Amino acid sequence: MFTLASVGQVLINGASLSAIYVLVALGFTLLFGIMRVVNFAHGAFAMLGGYALYYLWGSFGVPYVIAVPLAAAFVAIVALIAERLVFRWYYQRMFESMIGLLGLNLALVYSAVMIWDVYERSIPPAFGGLIEVCGLMLPTDRLVVICIAVVVLALFWFFMTRTRHGLAMRATAQDLEIAETQGIDTVTTYRIAFVIAIFMTALAGALYAQIYSLSPFMGDRPLLVAFIVVILGGMGSIPGAALGGVILGFTESFLSTFYGASISSFASFGVVIALLVVRPWGLLGTPESARA
Amino acid sequence: MRSPGRILIAGVVLLAVALPIIDPKGFLLTVATLIALNLIGATSLHLVIRTGHVSLAHAAFMGVGGYTATLTLMKLGWPFPLNILAGALTPALLALLIGPVLLRLQGKYFVLVTFLLGEILRLVFVQWASVTGGANGIFGVPPAAPIFASPAGFYWLVLGAALLCVAVVARVLNGETGRVIDSVREGERLAQCAGVPVLQVKVAAFVLATALVGVQGGLTAHYLQYIDPGAFTSVQSLGFVVMNVIGGMRSLLGPIIGVVFMVTMPEFLRGYVEMQQVMFGIILIVVMAAFPGGLVELASHLRAVAGRYADTAKSGGARSERAVGP
Repeated sequence: MFTLASVGQVLINGASLSAIYVLVALGFTLLFGIMRVVNFAHGAFAMLGGYALYYLWGSFGVPYVIAVPLAAAFVAIVALIAERLVFRWYYQRMFESMIGLLGLNLALVYSAVMIWDVYERSIPPAFGGLIEVCGLMLPTDRLVVICIAVVVLALFWFFMTRTRHGLAMRATAQDLEIAETQGIDTVTTYRIAFVIAIFMTALAGALYAQIYSLSPFMGDRPLLVAFIVVILGGMGSIPGAALGGVILGFTESFLSTFYGASISSFASFGVVIALLVVRPWGLLGTPESARA
Repeated sequence: MRSPGRILIAGVVLLAVALPIIDPKGFLLTVATLIALNLIGATSLHLVIRTGHVSLAHAAFMGVGGYTATLTLMKLGWPFPLNILAGALTPALLALLIGPVLLRLQGKYFVLVTFLLGEILRLVFVQWASVTGGANGIFGVPPAAPIFASPAGFYWLVLGAALLCVAVVARVLNGETGRVIDSVREGERLAQCAGVPVLQVKVAAFVLATALVGVQGGLTAHYLQYIDPGAFTSVQSLGFVVMNVIGGMRSLLGPIIGVVFMVTMPEFLRGYVEMQQVMFGIILIVVMAAFPGGLVELASHLRAVAGRYADTAKSGGARSERAVGP
């Protein structure tokens, strides 16, 4: 059971799943941490990322390395319309946002059904074959997913910690009013945070759709994952989302390889419920009383 | 305000009871049966919502009730009223076991936990194939009793159950218990200091609500003559929440209006399923953005505006305030 080959497979699958999960969850936690909205339409944006990649890479033949970020950027820019029309109403209104954005999810998913029909498509793989590393045969496409995610996460980290806009964003997340009195343009900051969050989500959705399949309903799984990861790590905590994504990715890869997919779902849901009961603010989050 | 309201309620109930005579087995009767079934779920969830907790596992509890009712009937051969009773008691027992743990959480964490709990229960329905029939479910659930085999007979049964459920919830919310429940939502600490056993109140509301929705599960299985996990997903749970939200979460009238709205609108837009879902989404967005109090709040807004116009017309009538809200 635990041969070198199977362990290698578990590790590489775990790493690529983690990469996608972290991207999905970071977008979710960013929207929650900064704007206090629970983005129930998260899966729909991931789905749109998948379709964008399908056209750019699958139909128009844009080179893969350009097509992936371009697809995500395209979705993020178009999503600004949704920011103006929908999200802006729900900033700082956590409960209303859950239901309202659920409505956005319905509208987006069924618009997609009307445009693209319900059947599943596949995005042609960009890289086939295996690479041999230290005696392990590793699938190239998974390695590419990991590389893309690492690059994007590094850029995100750089933006948040080393630029003025990142600083403004962290200040806004901590206290909206104080940030405004310090002269931070919070409207623009919110807009930047929104674009970044949707960019990462659409990117994750595109990679996810390429590994699995593309359909208007594919967003359900990323949404559930975002939920679990964000609860696991702590709502609104960025390092928490990264840690949660890695934990969930590797556990799921390990359990589903050796014990089957349903056991792995039971385990991850069960652990998260237990964690919520004992420590509702997650592994790396801060308790509500300390924050307020 | 009091007696016209009562007359209105009596009129609506009479109309509902007389419906099968007007339209023996037509489209209206199907819609009315669905409305009555969903009234149970929506009003029972309203009870939980009034304590300040939004449960996204309500449909999963309905599933527990539905499967219990179906299995006790088909595998154990229990007679009809007993199997519905079992279908009410099992989810209530489950709620009694986990409620004291989950209801300690703040509202938003409770939403997330129940979302996951609903997924777990759905997984159990799908995976425990030897008992629940897996993803295909169980076919050939017999009618509750020969009298209830006809659409009209079944409608009266469901209507009776729905009215009973609404009456129970209304009784709880309008009495002293209702004020206790409202105090728990509005100020938990303060209520506790005033001697309200906060956790017990929450658990009691939760248990009662799950028992009621279990009845809906059992009746739905009789109605559709099969039961499968697809009816008990988080989407259905969200449906119950949406019914409460659209109608208004602050009074029992809210979920009732919400159910009528949510059930009839899709029925009248049958030909355009996707378009209807998109419209639905847009309505949700607009309602939540502009009227978080739901349609009830919108109605009282309109009445207030109308009252103000009437005031200026009459140059300052003193009685206009009485028209605002029940």
